[in-house]
Amino acid sequence: MAKLFNGLLGIGVALALGGLLMLVQGYNPLASYGALLQFSVADSYALATTFTNAVPLVLTGLSAALAFASGPVNLGQPGQLLMGALAATVGGLFLDLPPLLMVPLLVLLAMAGGALWAGLAALLRQVFQMSEFIVTLMLNMVADFFTIWAITYPLQDSTAYSPMTPPIAQSGWLPEWGDWNSAVVWMLAAVAATWFFSRRTRAGYEWRIGGQNSLFARLGGCPVDRNFVWVMLLTGALAGLAGGLVVMGGPHRFLRGLGANDGWDGVMVAIVANNSLPGVFLYGLFFAAIQSGALGMELITGVPSEIAMVLQGVLVLAIVASREALQQVTARLAVRRRALERRA
Amino acid sequence: MPALIELQEIVKVYPPALLALDHISLRFVEGEIHALVGENGAGKSTLMKVLYGLAHPDRGRVLYQGREIRFASPAAAIAAGIGMVHQEIVLVNEYTVWENIVLGAEPVGWFGQIDRPRARRQVQAIIDRFQFELEPDARVADISVAARQKVEILKLLYREVRVLILDEPTAVLAPQEIPQLFAELRALRDQGHTILFVSHRLEEVLELADRVTVLRRGRAVATLPAAGTTRSELAERMVGRAVLFQSRRVPQPSGEALLTLAGLRAVDGQGRISLHDISLQVHAGELVGVAGVEGNGQLELVHAIVGLLRPNAGRIVVAGTELTAAPILARRRVLAFVAQDRGRMGGSLSASVVENAIMTHHRLNRRLLRWRGWLLDMRAARRFTAELAARFAVSTPALAAPLQTLSGGNQQKVILGRELLLDCPVILLDQPTRGLDVGSIEYVHDQILAMRAAGRALLMVSASLEELFLLADRIVVLHRGSLVADVPVEQTTVEQVGRWMLEGVQGDG
Repeated sequence: MAKLFNGLLGIGVALALGGLLMLVQGYNPLASYGALLQFSVADSYALATTFTNAVPLVLTGLSAALAFASGPVNLGQPGQLLMGALAATVGGLFLDLPPLLMVPLLVLLAMAGGALWAGLAALLRQVFQMSEFIVTLMLNMVADFFTIWAITYPLQDSTAYSPMTPPIAQSGWLPEWGDWNSAVVWMLAAVAATWFFSRRTRAGYEWRIGGQNSLFARLGGCPVDRNFVWVMLLTGALAGLAGGLVVMGGPHRFLRGLGANDGWDGVMVAIVANNSLPGVFLYGLFFAAIQSGALGMELITGVPSEIAMVLQGVLVLAIVASREALQQVTARLAVRRRALERRA
Repeated sequence: MPALIELQEIVKVYPPALLALDHISLRFVEGEIHALVGENGAGKSTLMKVLYGLAHPDRGRVLYQGREIRFASPAAAIAAGIGMVHQEIVLVNEYTVWENIVLGAEPVGWFGQIDRPRARRQVQAIIDRFQFELEPDARVADISVAARQKVEILKLLYREVRVLILDEPTAVLAPQEIPQLFAELRALRDQGHTILFVSHRLEEVLELADRVTVLRRGRAVATLPAAGTTRSELAERMVGRAVLFQSRRVPQPSGEALLTLAGLRAVDGQGRISLHDISLQVHAGELVGVAGVEGNGQLELVHAIVGLLRPNAGRIVVAGTELTAAPILARRRVLAFVAQDRGRMGGSLSASVVENAIMTHHRLNRRLLRWRGWLLDMRAARRFTAELAARFAVSTPALAAPLQTLSGGNQQKVILGRELLLDCPVILLDQPTRGLDVGSIEYVHDQILAMRAAGRALLMVSASLEELFLLADRIVVLHRGSLVADVPVEQTTVEQVGRWMLEGVQGDG
């Protein structure tokens, strides 16, 4: 209840500030927000666009939230996403199986690509005690340039003018039903599986406790070092899955700038959701709605779509700040109530 | 008599929901030793912090010499004449005593250089004036804890503080060192200083203080003259009911050795020996108490047994199983462990009661697991926790509530219950009653004695000699990483154990 209120409060404050900004710039905030709503949730097409946009956001968000809640500071979602996308692309370029086999295989390849990239950071941590915080950040750069090299030279589509690969085999394209892309189904499945894992399995319990108090978990008999590696592998796989689904659901090839902001947006979603998994899902959808609605807003009222970035920034600040403020306020109220009870 | 310091209706709230001080009004008179007693969490430390500028009251006024004051920082408090000595002593080890005392307020010569001869002279003068036994040229690294505490006090006297606040000054001292500290504090009082001291050792309070204020759950429940007040009167006011101070241990024969430490040796990162050939046996139905001044190897001993520290030599055998190099989980099959620190080693404060209660059981107890141990049966986990809560009288708002919403005593009951339900032959207790109130301490002691009666082998580290003498069959003394004594409790006295703790001599030492 308090969480819901906090989220709504933050969103309200952010929208009010965004509206104020538009007013100052001479735009009509009400018409703009109307357009935003219309192009993000009003009809099946708009809703489908929002859900499709949410796929990488939610998956990288899950990756970051699960990692942060379990202890490891995996900030490698951008790199793991790229490596996952590359792995799925390579699979799609060199294999052609029936779709029923091809799609799951490419999805697995994408997850393996992301897991491998995160696993590298885990390995460096286990062997050389290098902080995964730094290593995952640096590996983002490496992945960035490695994938650019890969699509510029060995995997380049010779008929294209900018660096990109040829399209992957059609059997690896994610099926679509009207406006809806089946990438959304994979995302929903990943949300459900991650939640089940975290809440119902023994490993999920150990990860959660280890993230809160690693020494306690260790003394309780949890294999904290081994768990660390598994957290990195699984959260890497989630980010890699995001990359794979982006390729298989959208352009069907790896082109330059693919998934550019998705990794960092996912980290942001995790922070806003305070690492709660249902929270990641809801906030991921919400941010995706703003991103898809902003284009419509530009179309109708001429407000530049960059306002979406401003709104996102204000949202993060407003939600996180109101969470802290609300905690203070409720705590004070509780104390006052208790003091009154005792005086009586 | 006019009050030197007067507190009026002080309220202090700590978020999330702790009413630390609940409308406290108190008067401290010039030239008195005023003790503050109360259980942990009663508000003693918070009250001192408010006086010292480390915490700011949410409501109420503090009057000092009749004027309202509000210190922005401890430095401002010291400048006004109020100084505090904390439990943790922070000095520069490489400096001498006098250098530490003048540090930050050095007398300077014409060119801004430190006037070393003058500084040393001033320090010597203060030491003489208050008759402290202290050598100004000794390096702090080489002097005892008691002497370091004197340095802290002298630092404040050097800054001409009139009011001294001492937070549990005797906690770091051995019994023999306490009378000297008290004599020095009385000398200070006789020269007009006002001393406020926080303690929960009632006999010391009654010996030293002129007046005693009892705090209970954030409120000042009574201020009494120390003369004519008894320990049980104070305890009763602290707890709100009568408390027994007697041993309930019944003698019983002990069985086979269940815990064997043989020649245990550990060397720390800097090559210093932290455990020196420790050999010890604990038998079934026996409780062995480990005494020692803090920092003499207790931590390393506990860490070596639970597996956080790999000893450089020696063996650890529990119930016939060699555990010297075993992983922690293998140890936990035969070894229950109650840590001294509930929020760091004993549990996770932000996790729910259920999540705290099933730790370790989640790997060993088939009842909680499904699918070859891959899945946790949450319903069984809740049932298990409800049983634990019922059996160990845990009072909690809900099983799903975070552990931190429980009182310290109830947190410790959850942890104790979890460990005792593991049904291990050997139980390691590291200060199991640290920070608990008198009522909870009684409860924990009863549970410990029940385990002893059930034939378990118990090893208990405690900072309280009173507790050790209450519960233990044998007492061993750690001094600088060595076991310097191992005696049945009937054949020794608190004073003798205190001497071993300090000097480490028995035979060849």
